Amino acid sequence: MSLFSFVSVASADVNFSGKTITWVVPFKEGGGTSRFARFIQPFLKKYLPGNPDVQIMHIPGGGAIKGSNYFEKNAKADGTFIFGCSTSVIVNVATGNPLVKYNLSEYRPVVLLPQNTHWFTRSDLAEPHDLSKIKERKLVLYALKTPASADLFHIWIYDKLGIKGAKPIPGLSSSGGYQAFLRGEIHLSSHGAANYVKKVKPEIAKGKVVDLMTLGIIGADGSVSRNPLAPNAPTFPEMYEKVNGKKLAGADLEAYYAIGAAWSQASKAMMLPKDASDEIVKAYRDAAIKMTNDPEFKAKAEKALGPFPLIIGEEAGEIIKKAAVFSDNTKKQLNAVLKKHKFTYRVQ
Amino acid sequence: MEQLLAALFQLFEPTHLAFLFAGTLLGLIVGILPGMGGTSGLALVLPFVFTMEPSHALAMMIGVLAPTTTSDTFPAVLMGVPGTSGSQATVMDGFPLSKKGMAARALSAAFSASLLGGVFGALILSISIYYAIPIIMAFGFGEQFLLVVLALLMVGALTGDNLFKGIASCFLGLIIGSIGTAPITGDPRYTFDTLYLLEGVPLVVVGLGLFAIPEIVGLLDAKGSIAKSLNTKKGWFTGLKDVVKNWFLVLRCSTLGCLVGALPGLGGTVVDWIAYSHLKQTTKDTSQFGKGDIRGVIAPESANNAKEGGALIPTLIFGIPGSGNKVLLLGGFVLIGIEPGLDMVTTNLDLTYLMIWSLAIANILGAGICMGFSSQISKFTLVPYYILAPVMVCLIFFATFNFNRDWYDFIGLMSFGLIGITFKNFGWSRPALLIGFFLSTKVELLSYQTQAVYGLSFLTRPVSIILIILCLATIVLLTKQKFDKYYRSDFVKGKLTQIYYNIILLCLPLSMIWFTINLDYRANLFPISLSLIAFFLLTFILIIKIADLKNLSFLNYTIIKFARSNIFEIGGNFKIQIYYYLSFIGFLLMNFIFGFPIAAALFINIFILFHNRKAYVSSICISAALMVILWALSSLLTLQFPNGLIGLFIDLPWWLGGQLN
Repeated sequence: MSLFSFVSVASADVNFSGKTITWVVPFKEGGGTSRFARFIQPFLKKYLPGNPDVQIMHIPGGGAIKGSNYFEKNAKADGTFIFGCSTSVIVNVATGNPLVKYNLSEYRPVVLLPQNTHWFTRSDLAEPHDLSKIKERKLVLYALKTPASADLFHIWIYDKLGIKGAKPIPGLSSSGGYQAFLRGEIHLSSHGAANYVKKVKPEIAKGKVVDLMTLGIIGADGSVSRNPLAPNAPTFPEMYEKVNGKKLAGADLEAYYAIGAAWSQASKAMMLPKDASDEIVKAYRDAAIKMTNDPEFKAKAEKALGPFPLIIGEEAGEIIKKAAVFSDNTKKQLNAVLKKHKFTYRVQ
Repeated sequence: MEQLLAALFQLFEPTHLAFLFAGTLLGLIVGILPGMGGTSGLALVLPFVFTMEPSHALAMMIGVLAPTTTSDTFPAVLMGVPGTSGSQATVMDGFPLSKKGMAARALSAAFSASLLGGVFGALILSISIYYAIPIIMAFGFGEQFLLVVLALLMVGALTGDNLFKGIASCFLGLIIGSIGTAPITGDPRYTFDTLYLLEGVPLVVVGLGLFAIPEIVGLLDAKGSIAKSLNTKKGWFTGLKDVVKNWFLVLRCSTLGCLVGALPGLGGTVVDWIAYSHLKQTTKDTSQFGKGDIRGVIAPESANNAKEGGALIPTLIFGIPGSGNKVLLLGGFVLIGIEPGLDMVTTNLDLTYLMIWSLAIANILGAGICMGFSSQISKFTLVPYYILAPVMVCLIFFATFNFNRDWYDFIGLMSFGLIGITFKNFGWSRPALLIGFFLSTKVELLSYQTQAVYGLSFLTRPVSIILIILCLATIVLLTKQKFDKYYRSDFVKGKLTQIYYNIILLCLPLSMIWFTINLDYRANLFPISLSLIAFFLLTFILIIKIADLKNLSFLNYTIIKFARSNIFEIGGNFKIQIYYYLSFIGFLLMNFIFGFPIAAALFINIFILFHNRKAYVSSICISAALMVILWALSSLLTLQFPNGLIGLFIDLPWWLGGQLN
């Protein structure tokens, strides 16, 4: 009898042996979040206690709202349900989409995968890292998929940099927009890190395109450092200071942190439901740390996930809170630029 | 060049070849089933390919697409029914040849001509890829806008039997495509506050509903399978010799097919007829045409397979589909994360070459299988349709659910199925509706983008002027060729039904205007303009219909005669088709109660036994095989099938609809 109770005490530690973990991804197979999940899946099985099976369940639809709502409603907090999150899932919450029923800021993040945005223009329009010629232009066209997405942040960024001629061309995906940019139809363009390396760097080498700036890498203490992929390009706070003659501060800084958290730091995330116990969260975080030390992970991660290291631990929770809950000031700022550009859409 | 070879080696990896081969087999089968074609075939595989690696998925999709215009020759020659719309002209001489006992000769000539045409198309495609970059760079928003509009007009004008009904179908498709979130402002349009309509009905569901369901009920109605089996084995060599002797004709028609296929919007609907009339114009002795001239088989078959390569050019570099099956192919690209355009000739060039090689090899494979196993394959046309139909319905339901795992998709499927059946029976154009639906968002966005960058000045850019001239010329030439005969609708029964149907169609534009009138002008300008045009077109058609019914005298003016041709049409016994359609709804209800696997087994047994009480061996075997396949799929791919109410009360294994875990 005493032996039996000893065993049961030991198994009070988290053990998923024989269980199946369901990873809900609110997007289609083949998308970025799905690829992220599929890359991590085998390592999770390898390092979680008890080596559980991990199955990925794709529930696409409704701009990621359907799958996210499904997770909120059905996920068990015992560690057998995890959630694949991305910028658009966060933006749905942060901008107050009325169909959203999930309370993302209370979820327990395990791993965040950061991204970074690069801005660039044609070499005949501006000098590298210099916006002055762009600001003189009467019309500066740029691509914008829809204001109800992370692209909304472009409007704010260009506004804060005082590009008065900035005018969004709606309905262009980033790749369609880049094509129009190469054709000379639009003036400013941007890409995430992976496509920047693949598509933009060759054009820069040919001298057709010049770097303008990057969003910047936000550290845990709020400091902003340059993007290692374009080390000479200034970050947005640097550019802001150069253009406006004053440091990025106050409401603008607050908005920048919120945008940076949603757009860059928490670009992709793996989360546990809000009621998951500390032991379960710890078991997952430990597995994630072991994963980052796995030689196979090290060999493949840069190609599959990009150059930025994963964020694991309490820091991740803070970032998600910042990203998912926009302050009234930030909302006011975003709505002001939306109004200025005659969009009917508003952040709630 | 390096990538060209690398893609070839990649394709010869066993897994790639396996997917290509599986796709080719499926393509052959859907090509043989009369009426089914690449569109239905692709719609069936799309819900499954998007879990695959992109290169595997591409191999499979191209595999499905390539051989349909080869194997569709079986029904054309043996039954006198075109297997797909691309082999209508083949029937003209192929069927008479078969009646003369020269079916084998006709088939072998058709397959080898098809093979040569297909490989030629792939070759032209691989060459044009080299010149694509400057073309893409020359096509800005304005040129693309024109290209899309011209494609739409051409499809509308040429796929319907009546010019005005074709164009109206196109506009109806555009209107349906504008349902959902307005791309500029994000306002919901015509969604009735549902999340489902906010995204719009998925393309795969529309494709299956519009194409697969009407064909199945149509064939059930026609009580299919009246084909004779291929009795003669002689003549295969003669057919090959015919093709070698007419090598120059093959080359000319392949070139023609490639060119016509590359014109966006034309891809495939008329190419066989163009080749056939080219043959007639360039031949001195035309006395045997229509009575069994082998050249009448060679010309359309080489052209209709060569067009696949040509049609991929606008599809890959502009994302503008020329036919129904290219719409589904583009839908597949979206699913596996490939965006047509510049990437296809730069960063994704390896995938493009992979497609080209797949196209060539699938053509060779397809033609090879058709020739090597012709007598076995031709037996496929002997399987009674009451056995094939329920299996296909199950497959369609399975594909539909697997796409989004959403019950609402069944409502979408059945609604578009009904639209498809009525369109097919009453002579409206389904390809035009599908292409309009697919291109709607693109047209709307391009019109805003063009306006923002160019204003109206885009019309005076050189490429635009060339495009406009090209389009006008094609439309004039082709409509003249197509409508030179004066068809009458005298023998059509039930004209009143079609007049009522016309009035029902009018409700779509009117209600669209009603529901969007109060939105921001950037959200409603597009649907309201479309609705107004559609309203006037439909009203005009309605007036002509009523005048035709009352036999009013003004119909005798030449211009009105043109509008009157085929204004009424009837494709089969409409009532019987609706009964079959209702039986599918019964199957849907069974799904709701029992869950998919059990309902499918029940449906297959009931359906087959209803038609033939003695066929219980087949029905039990087929449904048992289906259950085994479903069980295997569910454990391999962790698929969950639609689970019914029954699962709430009885403890079932989870793949039969029991509780998860």
